[in-house]
Amino acid sequence: MAEVRITGLHKRYGAFHAVRGIDLDIRDGEFTVLVGPSGCGKSTLLRTIAGLEESSEGTIEIGGEVVNDFRPRDRDVAMVFQDYALYPHMSVAKNIGFGLKARKMPKPEVEARVAEAARMLGITPLLGRFPRQLSGGQRQRVAIGRAIVRNPRIFLFDEPLSNLDAQLRDEMRGEIKRLHQDIATTMIYVTHDQIEAMTLADRIVLMRDGLIEQQGAPLDLFERPASTFVAGFLGSPRMSFLPGTLKLDGSAAAIRLADTLLPVAPGRTLNGAADGQAVLLGLRPEHLTRAHAAAPAQGIFRYDATIDLLQPTGSRSYATFRLAGAPVMAELQAHDVSRPGERLPIDINMNRASIFDAKSERAI
Amino acid sequence: MQYTATISRMKAAGAPPRLSGFAQWADRHFKWLLVAPAVLLILALSIYPLLFSLVVSFINYDFQVPGHAFVGLKNFERVVFDPVARWSLLLTAWLSGVSVAIEFVLGLLVALTMVRGFPGRGVIMSILIVPLFISPVIVGQAWTLLLQRPFGPTNYILTQLLGQEVTIGWMTEAPWLYASLIIADVWQWTPFMFVILLAGLTAIPPNLYEAAELDGVNAWQAFWAITLPHLAPMMLLALTFRLLDAIRMFDTIFIMTGGGPGTRTYTASYYLYTVGFTQFHLSQATAGSWLFLVFTALVVTLLVRRLLKAEPV
Ligand SMILES: Nc1ncnc2c1ncn2[C@@H]1O[C@H](COP(=O)(O)OP(=O)(O)OP(=O)(O)O)[C@@H](O)[C@H]1O
Ligand SMILES: [Mg+2]
Repeated sequence: MAEVRITGLHKRYGAFHAVRGIDLDIRDGEFTVLVGPSGCGKSTLLRTIAGLEESSEGTIEIGGEVVNDFRPRDRDVAMVFQDYALYPHMSVAKNIGFGLKARKMPKPEVEARVAEAARMLGITPLLGRFPRQLSGGQRQRVAIGRAIVRNPRIFLFDEPLSNLDAQLRDEMRGEIKRLHQDIATTMIYVTHDQIEAMTLADRIVLMRDGLIEQQGAPLDLFERPASTFVAGFLGSPRMSFLPGTLKLDGSAAAIRLADTLLPVAPGRTLNGAADGQAVLLGLRPEHLTRAHAAAPAQGIFRYDATIDLLQPTGSRSYATFRLAGAPVMAELQAHDVSRPGERLPIDINMNRASIFDAKSERAI
Repeated sequence: MQYTATISRMKAAGAPPRLSGFAQWADRHFKWLLVAPAVLLILALSIYPLLFSLVVSFINYDFQVPGHAFVGLKNFERVVFDPVARWSLLLTAWLSGVSVAIEFVLGLLVALTMVRGFPGRGVIMSILIVPLFISPVIVGQAWTLLLQRPFGPTNYILTQLLGQEVTIGWMTEAPWLYASLIIADVWQWTPFMFVILLAGLTAIPPNLYEAAELDGVNAWQAFWAITLPHLAPMMLLALTFRLLDAIRMFDTIFIMTGGGPGTRTYTASYYLYTVGFTQFHLSQATAGSWLFLVFTALVVTLLVRRLLKAEPV
């Protein structure tokens, strides 16, 4: 158990600047998820924490101790890889216990720890098998077992579920979450799957091009994205972005989208916004519902929409329509909408909508 | 001709042009005609000589004894009871075993060194594999020049290094002449082991070593836990190929020692060559070849069976 503090971290591969200045504080026992598009430097950051890559600049502290010059084995961290990285000719039990044996732990204790880890992961019946005789999910459990027997200060995961099919991924995700609740060790988890990020994380660190774009609790990032990049990355289907201009009139503010004027929710602060500023209005599908009440509540804007495209998913249907010329997606109850071309009153929840500066794409 | 006939028949679907009897026959057996030349060639150059040699090994086909009478197992007897034959078989096994073992260990060490990237790796690699492109005859010649008394520089260099007069007859004295043969073979064929083992090493996912490092596994343990199991099939492949090649050892012997002194450096191939082509006991040489073939086949079968059993990881 330990906290992690990263200060001014850079990593260059020759001329290529993969990590470009990261400052990150991870509390003891926290589950941190590094997320971002492919190539943004998540794995590089994780591997630098593990010591598998040398940092070009900056410091890494684990448990208050600068570990830059420590070899990976001396950092007391365990890592689970996407492709399991098991020893091919060793049984599952040996695979899990090999790290302990290598560190000269007495045999009975190794056996006890292996049995305990296997019990936690539900792989006790597999202990005598070889990796090639296991399914992908079972292999990944073994890899996790190999990490937990060592009782390390920090767990690192690099896309551990990417090789599994969707159903198994859901299941394993739950198990990793439960594992964290049980052992409460600091975990740093890399993924590019936003669902994994949202469900697992105490804190999400969203990266872009080697920098942290935004970090915070999952719901903070989801509800108050700092930029269109964050807003677009989290949430599926994606947030719709509508170009417009900001109208400031005393205390009242509104956004003009072509011929439609949408009032900004009262009480919403607009930092450093100017009248006539070009903005993007960000609406998530769940910010739009079918209107049922007689009159819209405060901060709700009602719009008569003509549905262009309908994507039913069972209980819900995603309906696309044009709002002042730009396409917007709404998540409706399946029984609220029947067919494309239908005219519906849609309530837009401006209380939850995001507003971004059109040029900088940062939230205002 | 037949081909155009086929095409035109396809084109005129339903209205086959009239063909002569031969053309019709040729058309129907087109595929057989295509493979016929290859089959005939193999029959003439492989199958026929093989069967003929089998016949020869049971009859008298000795240029020093007239007639081709059936002699039963006499030819085989002569080989089996010839001490030179037995010695040559032993020497073949021994020389190829030792050479291949040394080549394997050296090749593995070089491959383990070269698997890491470092400046100048490409150049060193190119230099290392040069011996593979040199004809064994030239290699034998070159080592003869280096080792032979009194002109070869080897004894001189050893004298300088050891500070006392060294006068080893590298081509004439046992055990030095075996050492010479092994040195030439090792020099030429270590790169072969190295190249194959390097290919195997490169294919091992680096993640495994990273996971092992985090586990606190040291380099020696990682070699046994990761490298060896991953490399085993490649090792077996390299050993099989190399061993099969080594037991035919002939060229270097021919050039370096000529089988001498006496018959001390007769290998199986060299023995058969001498019996057949210098003494012209053709039927005895043929019988010996068949016996040697049986030995070889046994070794090959064992190795290949082991190779096929090697499990993928
Ligand atoms: N050994 C290396 N040499 C040179 N460039 C590298 C090396 N490793 C990674 N990079 C580059 O650094 C950048 C970040 O790589 P990294 O593996 O951290 O991405 P990632 O965020 O983990 O992506 P993914 O989601 O695809 O795994 C990439 O552009 C990659 O090409
Ligand atoms: Mg990655």
